[in-house]
Amino acid sequence: MINIDKDLCIGCGICESQCPFSAISMVDGKAKAGDNCTLCGTCIEHCEQGAISMPDLTKAVQADFGSWQGIFVYAEFRKGVLAGVSLELLGIGRKLADKKGVKLSAVLIGSNTGDTDKLLIQHGADVVYKADHPSLKNFCEDSYAAVLGDLVKEHKPEIVLAGASAIGRSFIPAVATKLHAGLTADCTGLEIRESDGALLQTRPAFGGNIMATIVCENHRPQMATVRSKVMKALEPDVHRTGDIILVEPAVSALTSKIEVLESVESEGLKVNIQEADILVSGGRGLESAKGFELIRQLADKLGAEVSASRAVVDAGWIAYPHQVGQTGKTVAPKLYIAVGISGAIQHVAGMQSADIIVAINRDADAPIFDVADFGIVGDLFEVLPKLIEKLDQR
Amino acid sequence: MKIIVCVKQVPDAKDVKLDPKTNTLSREGVESIMNPFDQHALEEAVRIKEAQGGEVTVITMGPPQAEAVLRDAVACGADNAVLISDRAFAGSDTWATSYTLGRAVKKLGEFDLVLCGKQAIDGDTAQVGPGLATRLGIPFVTCVQKIRETDGNTVIVERMMDDGYDVVKASLPLLLTVVKDINEPRVPSLKGKMKAKKANITMLSAADLEAEATCIGLPGSPTQVVNVFPPEPRGNKEIFTGSVDEQVDKLVAKLTPYL
Ligand SMILES: Cc1cc2nc3c(=O)[nH]c(=O)nc-3n(C[C@H](O)[C@H](O)[C@H](O)COP(=O)(O)OP(=O)(O)OC[C@H]3O[C@@H](n4cnc5c(N)ncnc54)[C@H](O)[C@@H]3O)c2cc1C
Ligand SMILES: Nc1ncnc2c1ncn2[C@@H]1O[C@H](COP(=O)(O)O)[C@@H](O)[C@H]1O
Repeated sequence: MINIDKDLCIGCGICESQCPFSAISMVDGKAKAGDNCTLCGTCIEHCEQGAISMPDLTKAVQADFGSWQGIFVYAEFRKGVLAGVSLELLGIGRKLADKKGVKLSAVLIGSNTGDTDKLLIQHGADVVYKADHPSLKNFCEDSYAAVLGDLVKEHKPEIVLAGASAIGRSFIPAVATKLHAGLTADCTGLEIRESDGALLQTRPAFGGNIMATIVCENHRPQMATVRSKVMKALEPDVHRTGDIILVEPAVSALTSKIEVLESVESEGLKVNIQEADILVSGGRGLESAKGFELIRQLADKLGAEVSASRAVVDAGWIAYPHQVGQTGKTVAPKLYIAVGISGAIQHVAGMQSADIIVAINRDADAPIFDVADFGIVGDLFEVLPKLIEKLDQR
Repeated sequence: MKIIVCVKQVPDAKDVKLDPKTNTLSREGVESIMNPFDQHALEEAVRIKEAQGGEVTVITMGPPQAEAVLRDAVACGADNAVLISDRAFAGSDTWATSYTLGRAVKKLGEFDLVLCGKQAIDGDTAQVGPGLATRLGIPFVTCVQKIRETDGNTVIVERMMDDGYDVVKASLPLLLTVVKDINEPRVPSLKGKMKAKKANITMLSAADLEAEATCIGLPGSPTQVVNVFPPEPRGNKEIFTGSVDEQVDKLVAKLTPYL
């Protein structure tokens, strides 16, 4: 937090009234910064006495490293359901915690969370911090950020992980900003560096054309978001035990400046291509909405879900929730059949974790074959009907 | 209404490649564009101004050539343009960027609404918007797909969620990040282009912002990139041969264990 020189401070209270975070208060006639100070520096400008200065950040934080220990996973709970990505994060969180020999804690925020705490423990958490309150029923950026931020300040985990979902991507950056923590979005790999125990965070950049490994050496906590289906959840162990700690959020954390009036579920968005074992995915090679029907037929034969490249979604042959890729969903089915898809890097970024990839494309040089396990070079309008026919005979 | 729009100049993502020999980004021949999401943020700001009056100020932090996106923004209806540029900002991650933008917005004075794109396509982090709101001490709503109502005091917006959308009410001042569904950006008119050519660009340096050296650029960035490498190859690349019939037979045989 900000440095206040007691000798120079005259207790005028200007900084207190100017602080956008209400982090400064007057104690015994002198200004005192609370730990919700974000080092924004507003008070420095307003102090006519020159009594306030910025601390030397890197050193200040570094000296304090030993007290940051353990791993937090944000357990995303909305409308009575725990997001699958939270269990996946407990899977990788468990590995990191075991490697470091520290505790893995889940932070559950919501209302009427029922037995979710036990589920978190079964999937690897040692501790569950449970902030279950009617005011937290709807996701509000500011109150969720306050609840998680306060818990991080109190317990000082060295690592904080969250899903890169609509919710995670929304409020986690606010938490990181408040804590002066580094935050790496959409990580595809998380590891502990042998030399110093720092978290190595790997993520795609420039639309998946390159991978970058990022570390936060001088700041704690180290924060990362991960998209769903990138990590693997552990098999639940019903005999696992852990501590469930009820959290009473501060009143200020429960009063949000935004209000959710209504929550609308779009029928289309409920299709969850991320849960499917088999995906049949179509691209521009299908030429028309009618051509795309072939994909649906093949999917029906295989008991599979239908997905698509962005070109197909942009053409309006199928709705956006079916899009696979960098700007669509990340999927990791057992089997992914790409038909008439060229395999642009942005598409591949979303499906390369499939166990088996099959490509059907008439262009032998299409990049999709570079990531495929099995490929047929041929005209899909010949191959698909034949494939459907043979599957029928099976 | 006074609206600030944050725009970023980004390389056109589809052109960026990694040079396998040097492991550096080859940006040769790569065009720079206004981040697509920011075009939608700008369009929304201009529409609000056209409907209710007010003023739209675009700001960008970047190298001197980022001026180009500011002129594009003026061509599309922005009134003021601010270029936040200084060697000292180089290497900023999202923490340092939101700090710097935050200093700039405070410097510019009163505002009602700040609009950002959902994310910048070069980094895809989606962190600067929420970070900036936190710096400014104002509430924010991300992934807005529609602004239903604004009356100068409150707004009602649709916030995109993973399973649909939430209708959210918030009071001004406020920061919103927008997705592409929100509108269709206009193409600049000839008149707009003329205006853009002549537009005055306000320059702000680190000194102008009285920015703390420990909070900007590389020294102010908690995250550091320590390694850059091409994505790992995958797939056993077995391409079948023979007639279509034979190929399909081979495929069915291979797939049977998975069905
Ligand atoms: C910032 C950014 C984000 C993006 N995000 C995504 C994303 O999330 N998901 C995504 O998919 N894309 C994304 N894209 C777009 C991506 O770059 C490609 O443009 C897109 O994936 C191409 O779709 P496609 O493979 O269906 O079409 P095309 O590239 O046109 O490929 C069609 C393929 O079909 C083959 N074909 C044609 N006719 C036949 C036939 N009769 N029989 C067999 N094969 C045939 C052709 O040989 C060709 O390989 C993104 C792009 C950008 C710039
Ligand atoms: N250097 C910058 N200058 C101005 N605005 C920016 C800058 N970087 C990010 N933004 C804004 O923040 C949004 C999210 O960016 P990012 O967090 O980088 O994905 C963008 O869409 C812009 O509106």
